[in-house]
Amino acid sequence: MRWLALLMTFLVFASGRHAVGEERNTVLLKSPGNPLVSFRFVFHVGSSQDPPGKEGLAALTSLMLSQGGTEELSMTEVMEALYPMAAGVSAQPDKEVTTFIGRAHRDHLEPFFSIFRERLQKPCFDPADFERNKNQLLNFLTKSLRSANDEELGKQSLEWMMYEGHPYRHPVQGTVQGVESLTLDDVKTFYRERYTFGNLQIGLAGNFPEGFPERVREDFKKGLPSGATKAAELPNVARDKGLDVTIVERDGADSTAISLGFPIDLTRADDDFYPLLVANIYLGDHRSFNGVLMNELRAKRGLNYGDYSYIENFIQDGGSTFPVPNVPRRQQNFSIWIRPVAPENAHFALRGAIFYLRRLVEDGMSEEDFEGMREYIMSYSKLWAQNLDRRLGYELDSSFYQTGSYIQEIENRLRSMTAADVNRAAKKYLDRWDFDVAMVASSTGPLAEAIRANAKSPITYQTPGTAEEVLAEDKVIEVLELPIENVRVIPVAEFFEK
Amino acid sequence: MNILGSMLLMTMMVGVPQEGAEGKVFPFPIDVRDFDNGLRLVGVQFDSPGLAAYYTVVRVGARQEVDEGKSGFAHFFEHMMFRGTEAFPAEEYNDVLRAIGADSNAYTTSDRTVYHILASSRSLPRTIEIEADRFRRLKYEKAEFQKEAGAVLGEYNKSAANPFMGLFEKLQDTAYDVHPYQHMVIGFLKDIEAMPTLYDYSLEFFDHFYRPEYVTLLVVGDYDWAKLQKDVEEKYGDWKRGGYVADIPEEPQQNKPREATVSWPAPTLPILAIAYRAPAFSTDRIDMPGLDVLSQVHFGSTSPISQELVIEKQWVDFISAGATDQADPPLFTLLTRVREPDKLEEVRAKLLAEVERISEELADSDKLEATKSRMKYQFLMGLDTADSVANTMAHYLSLTNDPETVNRVYELYDAVTAEDVRRLAKKYLRSENRTIVTLTQSAEVKGEE
Repeated sequence: MRWLALLMTFLVFASGRHAVGEERNTVLLKSPGNPLVSFRFVFHVGSSQDPPGKEGLAALTSLMLSQGGTEELSMTEVMEALYPMAAGVSAQPDKEVTTFIGRAHRDHLEPFFSIFRERLQKPCFDPADFERNKNQLLNFLTKSLRSANDEELGKQSLEWMMYEGHPYRHPVQGTVQGVESLTLDDVKTFYRERYTFGNLQIGLAGNFPEGFPERVREDFKKGLPSGATKAAELPNVARDKGLDVTIVERDGADSTAISLGFPIDLTRADDDFYPLLVANIYLGDHRSFNGVLMNELRAKRGLNYGDYSYIENFIQDGGSTFPVPNVPRRQQNFSIWIRPVAPENAHFALRGAIFYLRRLVEDGMSEEDFEGMREYIMSYSKLWAQNLDRRLGYELDSSFYQTGSYIQEIENRLRSMTAADVNRAAKKYLDRWDFDVAMVASSTGPLAEAIRANAKSPITYQTPGTAEEVLAEDKVIEVLELPIENVRVIPVAEFFEK
Repeated sequence: MNILGSMLLMTMMVGVPQEGAEGKVFPFPIDVRDFDNGLRLVGVQFDSPGLAAYYTVVRVGARQEVDEGKSGFAHFFEHMMFRGTEAFPAEEYNDVLRAIGADSNAYTTSDRTVYHILASSRSLPRTIEIEADRFRRLKYEKAEFQKEAGAVLGEYNKSAANPFMGLFEKLQDTAYDVHPYQHMVIGFLKDIEAMPTLYDYSLEFFDHFYRPEYVTLLVVGDYDWAKLQKDVEEKYGDWKRGGYVADIPEEPQQNKPREATVSWPAPTLPILAIAYRAPAFSTDRIDMPGLDVLSQVHFGSTSPISQELVIEKQWVDFISAGATDQADPPLFTLLTRVREPDKLEEVRAKLLAEVERISEELADSDKLEATKSRMKYQFLMGLDTADSVANTMAHYLSLTNDPETVNRVYELYDAVTAEDVRRLAKKYLRSENRTIVTLTQSAEVKGEE
């Protein structure tokens, strides 16, 4: 067996590479000074492979592995064993891959690994664990997503509309009817067919002993079926018309959450991704005042708590400003996230977001802004992988996209990039009007009518004291003509149903 | 100017040492310097070459919001701190942060407001310059103040659909009569809505609390201690001490059980909170550390009650328990969400019976030891970046201003016995000390169940 990953020594940056067939890569980050060992095992199995009518199967299977017993140990015994180590195994299912994440102190490496391998290789598929995990998914869909978090509802609704007829359409957690239909046999079959050695990328980081990675690899090679399965086929979902607006009608939504976007045909594997990354951070850097949207809509107008934009799937890591690694996708979308606004300002906020996007597309970034952004991203991107576990995650993603180490790649590309590159990429990928728009609101009729009619939508300031030049720009935004293709009002209960 | 550069990328991740010197749990060397004006500077030497976290810990939070109609003001003021000064108006302040590639933000809790910047060590002098400037010479126009009030309302709105927020609002309001812990950190909605009118009050607030005696500067990572002290002295040295102390009312002792319900206007599973008045943070007594251990031993994921209700019967989807370390008495809260709404009463009875049981029976000694092991490893494993170390240290500095507190707390954890756990259950988890709040879906909700 040929080792495809570089065995890293401390201070040397790992770079994993894809292998063909069974030998998918292994990423190792050896750090002798670190008493922790991180495990990130990425299976190329995700919700895009949920069979029609069985949406949620990949997520439920991952829960059965991470929140269930093994052939040797019941769920309770697993919990008892992990408890004094403060260690755990969590599953992060996504559309393309499912990642099992574990971290243990070196003091506990062997007992921890023994449980980790049992969970992935010998799950017992206990019916009681099945009921518990299935209920968890159902409750998430019906009691959390549809009713308790309008921001997440807006984002998921956007994908639901944007990816009609596409395997990315449904939430990773599935649909209500999909999850209800799942049986323990479905899970067992899915596990047997998909959790193969050929679908697995092994990631290890930290202070593991000599020979440990080889042993882990051999163990999984023996313990899982060989072979790899095909990823889901992804149709092209691009449209070329105007705005397709969906108002998600939810009783009790006191403010209006808005998400809008369109699919874009590039990922980290494309050259154009990097200049577009700069354009996007300039437009809507996640949770910072570096973005135009944040400054214009929040800081100058007090419209809401935040306004950001994205060019790839972005899931925030806990309370930080950084994304979780290991949610890669073969197809990405551009999106703008407008955090809840007062209902009377929803139409204005939609126009405002598009207005500032258009300004970027049409006027581009100035040389000065570009230089500022370049400096910022060069340094800031280094903070994305502060600990070994996150760095391992990034390396595995680089392997997914078959690029060099992502953060290093950003630096390399930035060195020779110009403002013209950025402005060209923004024009090429973002000069579009075919947005899907999801707005979560309780009072929907007048909003739908106003958007449909392109009615004037003056902002209602909740606070006095707006600057004159902002008020002048408001006059332009409030009448911005949007090419509306369609406006629908759909009750929230119809979302994620089947 | 690429300050961090690729070298940093390769070197910034290093170890989480096992334990510190002399058996202390906190594994990193600590530097302390006190300045004449009451400002304290704490350094933690953490092996993150080229990188340092710069934290400004202000000991003001919801706790000091004693004035009528001013709930949420400490948090609102945190927002205002980003509105600039004469030397660095907001946009210029942000330009500096951008140029140094910083990750920067702030947060407010019941007892503290923390401003944090993570950037290269080389940029520390610049960081000190802009931070000293805004903490001493913040200046904003009335219009900016009013705009920021809109952002705070937006922050309230973004969480308003979350039933846990509704539950905790009711719980705090019910459990406290006079203490500011009566409201959530974000404040009562009516007070948030009135914030735009409080410009003058905001100036007063700054004058009261943004003073050196309320502040500890904390630097974690790679720094030169001599240079750091010099830079801090130069920029903060003539910051004038204030003298204001909020008159925080003492919450009278509770003498009978309290109860409240919330009818939630959207689909939700029932949520149950059973809360008890707990002791204020102190390292003189074992009470608060003892209750932390109790919460894990008796209500943690492997406790008998969790195993029964979450894993076996599956009546609830989680149980959590515990109290936050706070300067004044917090609530020790048992929290659970009931999967089967008709089991709500039984779940409640089971939890109350468990509280009774643990007041009488001793905890299993193996479980007690396993819990101490878990708490120690959890602590050590969490200290894996300059930022996470700074967060932990900021927590203790806000309570005592003493960096040794963290070691003392873990000594106390080690000393907790099964008898302590039982005694503390008896002492604090009493019915006359209790507030129960139940949140259920309103009968008027259409559709779901």
